[in-house]
Amino acid sequence: MAVGIEPSQQAPPKRLPPPRGARWRAAQRVPQGVRSAAASAVLLAVLFVLVQIGVASGALRQTGLPLPTEVVGSTLGLLGTGGFWSDFGRTCLEIGASIVAGCALGLGAGIVFWKLPLLGRVFEPYLVSFYAVPLVLFYPMMIVLVGINAGSIIILSSIMAAIPLALNTRTGLQGIRPVHLKLARTLQCNARQTLFGIAIPAAAPMIVAGLRLAVVYALIGSIAMEFTTAQNGLGYRIRYLYETFDNKTMFAYIFVVLILSVLLTVLMAMAERVLLRGRR
Amino acid sequence: MEGIHLNDVHVQFDHPSGITIAVDGVTQQVPPRSFVSIVGPSGCGKSTLLAVIAGLQPATSGSVDINGRRVTGPDRDIGVVFQEDSTLPWRNVRENVEFAMQMAGVSKGERAAKAAAAIELVGLKGFENSYPATLSGGMRQRVALARTLALQPGVVLMDEPFAALDQQTRIFLGAEVRRIWEQTHQTVLFVTHDISEAILLSQQIWVMSYRPGHVIDVIDIDLPDERDASIVSSPRFNELHNRVWTSLQKESMRGFQDVETA
Ligand SMILES: Nc1ncnc2c1ncn2[C@@H]1O[C@H](COP(=O)(O)OP(=O)(O)O)[C@@H](O)[C@H]1O
Ligand SMILES: [Mg+2]
Repeated sequence: MAVGIEPSQQAPPKRLPPPRGARWRAAQRVPQGVRSAAASAVLLAVLFVLVQIGVASGALRQTGLPLPTEVVGSTLGLLGTGGFWSDFGRTCLEIGASIVAGCALGLGAGIVFWKLPLLGRVFEPYLVSFYAVPLVLFYPMMIVLVGINAGSIIILSSIMAAIPLALNTRTGLQGIRPVHLKLARTLQCNARQTLFGIAIPAAAPMIVAGLRLAVVYALIGSIAMEFTTAQNGLGYRIRYLYETFDNKTMFAYIFVVLILSVLLTVLMAMAERVLLRGRR
Repeated sequence: MEGIHLNDVHVQFDHPSGITIAVDGVTQQVPPRSFVSIVGPSGCGKSTLLAVIAGLQPATSGSVDINGRRVTGPDRDIGVVFQEDSTLPWRNVRENVEFAMQMAGVSKGERAAKAAAAIELVGLKGFENSYPATLSGGMRQRVALARTLALQPGVVLMDEPFAALDQQTRIFLGAEVRRIWEQTHQTVLFVTHDISEAILLSQQIWVMSYRPGHVIDVIDIDLPDERDASIVSSPRFNELHNRVWTSLQKESMRGFQDVETA
């Protein structure tokens, strides 16, 4: 009983990618990531060689920079010491805990502000202005309340991480296309299904951008607060080595912090690829 | 009480500058397992009427009964295909088609089988793993259609599903919808502003007036069940086209006059 205006299996237009196009695209993306990683590696190597030449020739004597080869050497030396791992572990704990707590807090606040627009409108200006305040300034107050320990740093870093994520989550949720919410209604989705099946995935690009900020803020917050007052941690150690004029070891610790931040960035880029699979 | 029964449906929107009457006393029936189209100029209340039938929008007065049940809200047995692209960009074709079933709590195995059948039905076989971003507008509407059909609703409401597509894709997809309907015989209410599309697809056409929205003409399409595009050149098709066109034209002229005297 076919109508016969055209065959039922319409041939795909030529300009479209072949079936399983998504996988094909993903395969194309990996070399792109490898390429940019290679580019940064080359850039770092060039920088490394330039600084090496500069320090060796005495041109950079004023800066107090040690030889990059020495920094790498003393960094490798650090890996064998228990003291390093205790500092490293403490900082990782702070960063990890503030990412987890900050994300939960930020995502939750963003969802609440979306569900209760009145609350969102009341709080948004405060959040935006808080976002501009270096919250590290509240650290002394937090020390009085909680003490000089990982707890006070985690609390403040979590808040620093949560704010951009809350703002982004709210913006992303407000931008959901009305037809997607209409779809949820016609399918009789309950609140949980609408939130996890439609709202959060639809807002994912904004949420992921917020996540990137949250991770950066957790890192900056934790290390900066350790730097000012702490008894342990990478930031504290750098400050201590600076005050005891142990330049070589200090740069080794700085090098570790740089590696840590690059590692976090790479992890975020990988998470982003998974979370935003198939879009654009 | 099989089919869709509209009993004196009124919808009005109140806003600061006054009241818009979108639907003004529509009383009609869509017989069970039949294909009915609504044609009318834009703004005449077609979408509003469809939203009321879908349970998305309450009627100001009057009521809708579907298969003997009063419509009080959305119902999974009433499938809706929207004009806008409603595919979910974070899900591939198969996952998109499975979405409705997943929300309805259909088991995984059953979902996969039904999705495969629906994807085949709309002619998307081979594109199961493609994401909407890589598909054309017409193919995305096929995905939305497959998602609705996979739940096997008794009633399917379509609000200008192909309006955003080019003429050729629209004719192709119209033929697909008719072919699918001949297989499934669901009760279909199809909104369009394309008269030829309405005649080619339907058994009956409701013509809606400019404003306020009521049905001014009901035309039975007595063309053979098996029709193809060549029927467009038949004398009967032309008669029907003229009849719909005359009703619409009278109304749109009145609409223009309203605007000019307002
Ligand atoms: N939510 C709404 N609030 C106020 N007016 C509306 C709303 N929805 C539709 N209208 C008005 O109702 C009338 C009918 O709209 P609609 O049903 O979308 O027409 P159609 O689908 O035939 O183009 C229009 O004048 C439109 O402006
Ligand atoms: Mg409309």
